[in-house]
Amino acid sequence: MNLPVRSTPRALLRSRIVDPEIASAIDRNPTAVNELGFDPWGLNPEDAKVYFSVARKIYNYFRPEIHGIEHVPAGRVLIVPNHSGQIPFDGLVIAVACLLHAKPPRLCRAMAERWFPTIPFVNEAFSRSGVVVGDPINCRNLLEAENAILVFPEGARGSGKVFQQRYQLRPFGRGFMRLALQTDTPVVPVAVVGGEESIVSVYNWKGLAKLLGTPYVPISPWLPVLGPLAYLPMPVKFHVHFGEPMRFTGPFDDEDSEIDKKVQKVMDRVQGLINEGRAKRRSLFF
Amino acid sequence: MAHVLVTGMAGGLSRLVAQRLLALGHQVVGADYRPLPAPLPDGMPFYQANYNKTRIEDIFKRHKVDSVLHLGRVGNLKESMGKRFDLNVVGSQKIMNLCLQHGVKRLVVLSTFHIYGAHPANHIPIYEDEPLRAGTNFPQLADAIQLDNMACQWVYQHRKVRTVVVRPTNVVGPLIHNTMSQFLRLRYIPHLAGFNPMTQFIYQDDLADAVVAAHEGDAAGVFNLTGDAVVPWRTALKLVKADTFPLPAPLVSGYLRLISGFPQYLMNFFLYPCVISDRAFREKFPWRPQVSLQDALWRTVEETRRAQGAA
Repeated sequence: MNLPVRSTPRALLRSRIVDPEIASAIDRNPTAVNELGFDPWGLNPEDAKVYFSVARKIYNYFRPEIHGIEHVPAGRVLIVPNHSGQIPFDGLVIAVACLLHAKPPRLCRAMAERWFPTIPFVNEAFSRSGVVVGDPINCRNLLEAENAILVFPEGARGSGKVFQQRYQLRPFGRGFMRLALQTDTPVVPVAVVGGEESIVSVYNWKGLAKLLGTPYVPISPWLPVLGPLAYLPMPVKFHVHFGEPMRFTGPFDDEDSEIDKKVQKVMDRVQGLINEGRAKRRSLFF
Repeated sequence: MAHVLVTGMAGGLSRLVAQRLLALGHQVVGADYRPLPAPLPDGMPFYQANYNKTRIEDIFKRHKVDSVLHLGRVGNLKESMGKRFDLNVVGSQKIMNLCLQHGVKRLVVLSTFHIYGAHPANHIPIYEDEPLRAGTNFPQLADAIQLDNMACQWVYQHRKVRTVVVRPTNVVGPLIHNTMSQFLRLRYIPHLAGFNPMTQFIYQDDLADAVVAAHEGDAAGVFNLTGDAVVPWRTALKLVKADTFPLPAPLVSGYLRLISGFPQYLMNFFLYPCVISDRAFREKFPWRPQVSLQDALWRTVEETRRAQGAA
């Protein structure tokens, strides 16, 4: 819907923030929004342009090298990466990469933790940008509408892992595989190298996490020296490796043991991409 | 032509339904536990009766009732818990038993989507077979949940009575005086800083059409009902041209209790989404909402805004 251009302070600010490349990529994504500009999950392409333009600045901070993005097909797809880094910058980097570099540009619908709707302000920014609660019904509806879904099957177990466990995958959930089988969706495995070193945690303070209602509370080794600044991400260079799409067949409601075999294939592929990516990496920052 | 008993006749929705039934050539008799605010058209018979008392039996005896549209669920939280239980649970059970005794063919029960509860883990949309989350956090909704459960059980237990249970989303319109409509008519409406969940509405005339479609059709079951557009809560506030201001959540709840007796369980609908799908109803009955969200919301508040000097 074209709204009349008005030079209110808000519109001026908006025109300064919105990145034309991001705006044109979002415009080229088919989105099923109603006449007021929203889809049922709360995606609003106009607001998404603002949020993704800000996200691109964070993306540039990590100077990511993107490999194999041509493997992201048009139509329904599950993008399945490793998860790391305490704050999900890996998701942000993949989502911006898919918008800027995939052909055609893809506005990823990321599946987020069920507690994100409880975080003030973040919940709104996420919803307007297309993030949804990681739930099988959300995922199935969006896949049937030919969306690209970004899902981290490690969940908070992955993003909250400590430095000693870096680049070792936590067990994947089975939900994504059942959905891939049910909706005949290809799975694109992805490795993000760099995320583990951007915000380092050496200990997960579970007691405090329980008290705060968060999935984990990372303790940075730099905390005694830097205080809260220890949680600022370091300018580590990200390397993102997209693998070839994997196709699976079989009943989606098969026994867990059968689904696990298929999930293991995806885990092996993601781990393989991580290992190759780490071997090729020359330095943390360049 | 059928003899139709419509409960909740002192409210705006039942009036709209009754007008439509009369136009279709049915005989309508009204009942409510409250007195009528204005006389009914065409000398339509009306009984002021608590649904759990014997006076309601007289209606069935005198009028050879073929259909019952039980639209009189008491949602007004100003009534005490005990009274709501008597009217909504004991009363509805009585009405449903009378349907069996008197060979009633069709029963439509008006429930509400509030029983799903607004919850951070809600997926979108919510279909009819999903768990009712509201009860775990808000015992004050127990009567609404029990009424709905009873009616749903009835659908399959007593197939001689074709029963349709409808769970509409927020009902709005100039004739509607439920908590949400009254809230939208406030001049200054606070919103919860940092939260803006997706919300739906259904216009009074669209809901009345849906109830009549459920009565006239031949399907039975439990159905969600909503208008077409899903919008963030603050967009809805813009559409009713209210002056809004952000407040931290605990303050909003205190402020609202102070000025309008706003119930806590509805506060959650300003925090988390509860978006329902009425695909099943649209598949079974020839019904589509006719009024756009913009018109529905504006018509709800128009008169009040003029009185407030804001329009």
